[in-house]
Amino acid sequence: MHTYETENKLVVKNLSKIYDGTEILKNISFEVKKGEFLSVLGPSGCGKTTLLRILIGLERQDGGQILKDGKEISQLAPSARGMGIIFQNYALFPNMTVLQNVEYALKIRKDLAAASRKTAIHTLEQLGLEEHLDKKPNQLSGGQQQRVAIARTLALKPDIVLLDEPISALDVTNREIMKKELKAIQKKFDSTMIFITHEQEEAFYLSDRIMVMSEGNIEQIDTPANIYSHPANQYIKDFVIAHLEQKYESLLKCTGRIRHE
Amino acid sequence: MNNKGYKAIKFLILAFLLVSVVFPLVNLLLRIRWEDITAVCSSPQFGDMIKNSLLTTLTATFLSVGLAMLLAWCINRTNIRFRAIFSILFTLPMLIPSISHGMGLVLLFGDNGLVTNLLGINIQLFGFCGFVIGSMLYSFPVAFLMLTDILQYEDYTVYESAQVLGLSKFQQFRTITLPNMRKPLISVIFAVFTMIFTDYGVPLVVGGKMMTLPVYMYREVIGLMDFSKGAIIGVILLLPAVIAFIIDLKNKDSGNSSTITKPYIVGKNKLRDGLSYVFCIVTILLISLPLLTFAYLSFVKQYPINMSFSFDNVKKSFDLGVGMYLINSLTIALLTALIGLAATYFTAYLTARSKKSFSNMTLHLISMVSLAIPGIVLGLSYVLFFKGSLIYGTLIILVLVNMVHFFASPYLLAYNSLNKFNENLEDVSATLGISKIKMLLDVYIPCTKETMLEMFSYLFVNAMVTISAVSFLANFKNLPLALLIPQFDSQSLIEATAFISIVIFGVNILLKLAIYLIRRRIHVQEAVKGGESA
Repeated sequence: MHTYETENKLVVKNLSKIYDGTEILKNISFEVKKGEFLSVLGPSGCGKTTLLRILIGLERQDGGQILKDGKEISQLAPSARGMGIIFQNYALFPNMTVLQNVEYALKIRKDLAAASRKTAIHTLEQLGLEEHLDKKPNQLSGGQQQRVAIARTLALKPDIVLLDEPISALDVTNREIMKKELKAIQKKFDSTMIFITHEQEEAFYLSDRIMVMSEGNIEQIDTPANIYSHPANQYIKDFVIAHLEQKYESLLKCTGRIRHE
Repeated sequence: MNNKGYKAIKFLILAFLLVSVVFPLVNLLLRIRWEDITAVCSSPQFGDMIKNSLLTTLTATFLSVGLAMLLAWCINRTNIRFRAIFSILFTLPMLIPSISHGMGLVLLFGDNGLVTNLLGINIQLFGFCGFVIGSMLYSFPVAFLMLTDILQYEDYTVYESAQVLGLSKFQQFRTITLPNMRKPLISVIFAVFTMIFTDYGVPLVVGGKMMTLPVYMYREVIGLMDFSKGAIIGVILLLPAVIAFIIDLKNKDSGNSSTITKPYIVGKNKLRDGLSYVFCIVTILLISLPLLTFAYLSFVKQYPINMSFSFDNVKKSFDLGVGMYLINSLTIALLTALIGLAATYFTAYLTARSKKSFSNMTLHLISMVSLAIPGIVLGLSYVLFFKGSLIYGTLIILVLVNMVHFFASPYLLAYNSLNKFNENLEDVSATLGISKIKMLLDVYIPCTKETMLEMFSYLFVNAMVTISAVSFLANFKNLPLALLIPQFDSQSLIEATAFISIVIFGVNILLKLAIYLIRRRIHVQEAVKGGESA
């Protein structure tokens, strides 16, 4: 039977979270389709990181449901939700080599332990890290470390990958490279990704859809093209459209594509 | 380890610290009788004791920190060679009990001392002079280590800007170095002050007729079994330590904000370097003098009448039970180090690697409180609290009291190293399904092996040399070796005290050597691994 809940990979209903009397998430609902790349875009303090932590189970919501493939997962431990998370600061195990970092998590999983070495090497190869298998994290560049963290997560074959500003700590050049790579990785692994960012431009480049948040509310959720052509409210115009246009003003001026209102 | 087990262990540790730190101290305070306070405070001795204690401690603190400052400057701000060796040699006095420093002075400068006899000069050691020199010897290595740590982490870019602005060396010192040093220096001064103020070892043997608060407390409790009077002095001794602790806590919160961007660059100056060599070498000669004397006197026939080489003293010392008490000491030190390492490390893991909660903050605070409790006060509170219990009079209570007494420093070592790990490691392991115990065994412990060695060494050495917390709790059966020194001293068995001092020193040197070799092995192993992957 196909319903709204089972058609979508993830359905979030009326999610709310309160910290010390402040509402961090105000009754938000949205869905993520299978294989989709959804960006959650918003300034710091808008509740996007809290949302991510609640989705994977590092924190508990005060109200609302999280359904994955139609099943409520709010009661499950983080490791039982079939999700993976990638942090801005990589969080690799400093005493282990690149290969050990990836293999370690595999060995713990009963279903994956048998082929752990093979899976780890294969995943690392797919991310272009085959030359660095025996290196320690501190011998790698920031971009390489982030790819190890991605490999560690993807090797476990999660249904959904959550990315918490994964490229914000990199320098400008590497950020551009990783941005392109992320898109390629998503295609290669055919995974569903929820990507947190405060950079409008990153969200527009990477996403199938963008969910714009402010102060615990969803302001608009739509494709980049629709958000640009039909901003839902003044907030979207100020925070998203104006910002993007300002950044590319000179470029847009040359091509004569700047909007006049 | 699941979440429930994890929480259970946390509350077990919290309960342990309550029983072993908080309850005994509260009990001590409750035991004090009002009549005794007025009796102690109105006694004619009291004013003199306070005056003696303050005057001598302040003088010794000032000189000790001054000496440590000069040495730290020689090591960190000049171009002299062998700095690592110098630094190790400066800290040798930490490997013997405070009372040994006093004994060393007696043997050298006492009425029958080697130097007194050799040069025919009597410096009138007993009293103010002996107290100050002995306390300096005992405390300056601690100040030296703290100050070296501060000087090492000064940012040079500020000095570069000052040079560009044309500030003179003196102006740089006044406007950069001093303000930078102010807060840490306060911590150092308080630490040294508390150390000297609460020590009874040095004044007991070289204080002469001069009575200080800890000596009075020691005599009241050991000699007259007057616990109530002892407790009042204990509270007075507790005061500066508690004040220091609070100031230090406030100091640290705001003090650690700077990050170094460039290490200090030392300019060329031959005169400065030459003087530094002389100063360092003279200091080392002076601190090795008592140690050499211990070694020398241990192997002479009868001091000062017959100075020919013999094993008589060694034999006599063993006849007096030194062997048995050495085994006591080794057992206590080893158990203190092992259990203490496990307890401090695990506590630090709880407070450093889990979310800030009320129970974690409490745990953190109690763990550091032991910094503020003088050993002699802790020991007395244990007598009053644990008397009649199963562990009283056994080795176990000595291990326990040492562990609590020395809890804070290894705890902070572990806390600081564990705090440096990536803040998201727990989140990552939770999502990957790696349990906390596996993270501890597979990630944290392998990464902090060297810190753990340092913690072990600190606990072991301190348990070997301490005479404070254990003094009131030891009996003829569980007595640690260091406490034989005051006993033998009162029986005028001078050569035997020298032998004990050198034995304790030897054991600690062996331990330090072992730790050094293990560390080197770790480095070699890591270099090999690094080489393979490079």
